[in-house]
Amino acid sequence: MKALIVDDEPLARRELRRLLTAHPSIQIVGEAGDIDEAQERIQSLSPGLVFLDIQMPGGTGFELLAQLAWVPRIIFTTAYDRYAVKAFDVNALDYLLKPIEPERLAAALAKLHAMPPASRRETQEDSPLEQLFVRDGPRCWFIPLREVSVFSAEGNYVRLQWGRERPLLGRSLAALESKLDPQRFFRANRQQIINLEAISNIDLGLGGQLHAQLNDGSEIRISRRQARQFRQRTTV
Amino acid sequence: MTHSRPAVATRVAYWTLQLAGWGLYFWAQASGEVIFADVPWSKSAALWGGFCAGGFGLTHLLSRTIKHRRWFSLPPRALIIRMLIAIALLASTLDLITVVLSLVIYQSPVAAIIGAFYRKLPLSGQLINQFVNSFVVTLIWVGLYLGLVAQRHRYEEQLQKAELAQLLHAAELRLLKAQLNPHFLFNALNGVRALIPEEPSRAQDAVTQLSRTLRYTLASSEDELVSLARELEMVNDYLSLEGLRLGNRLTIVRDIASEATQARVPVMLIQTLIENAIKHGIAEIKQGGTLRIEAQVLGAELIVRITNPRPTNAAVADSQGTGLKNSAERLRLLFGNRASLRLDLSREGQATAEVHLPA
Repeated sequence: MKALIVDDEPLARRELRRLLTAHPSIQIVGEAGDIDEAQERIQSLSPGLVFLDIQMPGGTGFELLAQLAWVPRIIFTTAYDRYAVKAFDVNALDYLLKPIEPERLAAALAKLHAMPPASRRETQEDSPLEQLFVRDGPRCWFIPLREVSVFSAEGNYVRLQWGRERPLLGRSLAALESKLDPQRFFRANRQQIINLEAISNIDLGLGGQLHAQLNDGSEIRISRRQARQFRQRTTV
Repeated sequence: MTHSRPAVATRVAYWTLQLAGWGLYFWAQASGEVIFADVPWSKSAALWGGFCAGGFGLTHLLSRTIKHRRWFSLPPRALIIRMLIAIALLASTLDLITVVLSLVIYQSPVAAIIGAFYRKLPLSGQLINQFVNSFVVTLIWVGLYLGLVAQRHRYEEQLQKAELAQLLHAAELRLLKAQLNPHFLFNALNGVRALIPEEPSRAQDAVTQLSRTLRYTLASSEDELVSLARELEMVNDYLSLEGLRLGNRLTIVRDIASEATQARVPVMLIQTLIENAIKHGIAEIKQGGTLRIEAQVLGAELIVRITNPRPTNAAVADSQGTGLKNSAERLRLLFGNRASLRLDLSREGQATAEVHLPA
């Protein structure tokens, strides 16, 4: 698996490189010292795995993830950041504490190999987004997009309706829409995009509108303009 | 309104004592009067019922007054004077109640039981003893009340002391953690681990520097003064370790006047400012920058100036604010207004911390 090391400290990168020599299945394809470099390398090298430091000059590892169009597998590395570590523990994200223990690294990599490999499709620029990294206050998640039922615009941000969670994403609805799978997601009105697979029932509304009942109990209005398209899409 | 457990317990104790005390006193006096003065129950019960009801109400009124007017936060003299006046008023009122009720019930100013007990005394002597009776009852009530309140205060004080000790411990622990600077510590250890296989002698130096830094930090106390030369040794060890981490992103320029090196400075003060300059300045900038440390003696003053670049769009971090505030507070406690600490952020992309100390 191709891996990228992101850390602002040259010595820390050197140490991780050395530790990874014990794991020939991991092929280090590059390094980055800040998040701009990292973003560029992730796009050009499309690694399947990124070792990501949190505290870096110019922006944190979390900020990098929030900017990425698609997110490879992530193993966080940090020396001491009790807030981040708490977030990792709460959300079962993989992390290594520096100095990294070889056993912990082996365990993290074993866990990685046990997971299904990231699909090839994911690594292509123009393919639709499959998962999103979202950080809202002290909490953070990798959210599989097919589990999100509604995206609602809130100013320049987007509120996700994901199970019982309502995290806020730092992008605009329009920017997100271009990245979503058009087969699965549908623009219901000016404010909202819905997941077609989350719809349980459709009711007729006034003036040609539709009301979509979702599995999670919420009801979304499909505007008159979009309702026509919706009928074309769904009545095959 | 919520009450703490001891407050509820004290209230229950108060009402129990109040009811039981006056009830028992009523029983003793009323039955005594029937036996010794040979009067009907109805008369003695009316007299002592009235007395005890009056006593119950008046003493309760006194306890409310003590509480609301906060008598227990008064100085002892003021408390004693108020207490004596209250005792005199209470005893007189109780005596007046006895006289009036006795006049109505027995057509004599003296209660039947007093008359029976002190029948050999003239009426004036009986009246005096009747007053003494009210006075003693009042004194017993005040004594019990003060005892109960004192006990409660002692209990609360102990509780507060325990709480305070706990807070103090927590604060000490926080301070220690901040002094040890765990982020720096673990990053330095990680750097040492990387150096061991390839540059063992640099790794050895780093371990020495790290242990010296730790020892200096752990040995220092708030009010200790050291020579600037000693403090700068620590700063140099620390900067070498940060150099490992930051590589060529960190450049250091020192301009230390020789007469400044023997000046006394609060231990860890300069170190704290240097840490701030790295943590919130150079470490936050991708290409790094130059840390400038200057010290000079001007007249009777030592001036230490630390200049570093800082990210242009960043606000002053909270931790930086509290760190500086703590340092400034420490200087104020040690030197009053003869020392000062100022952080100058007026120039875009640059921070200058300046300390003035009596040389």
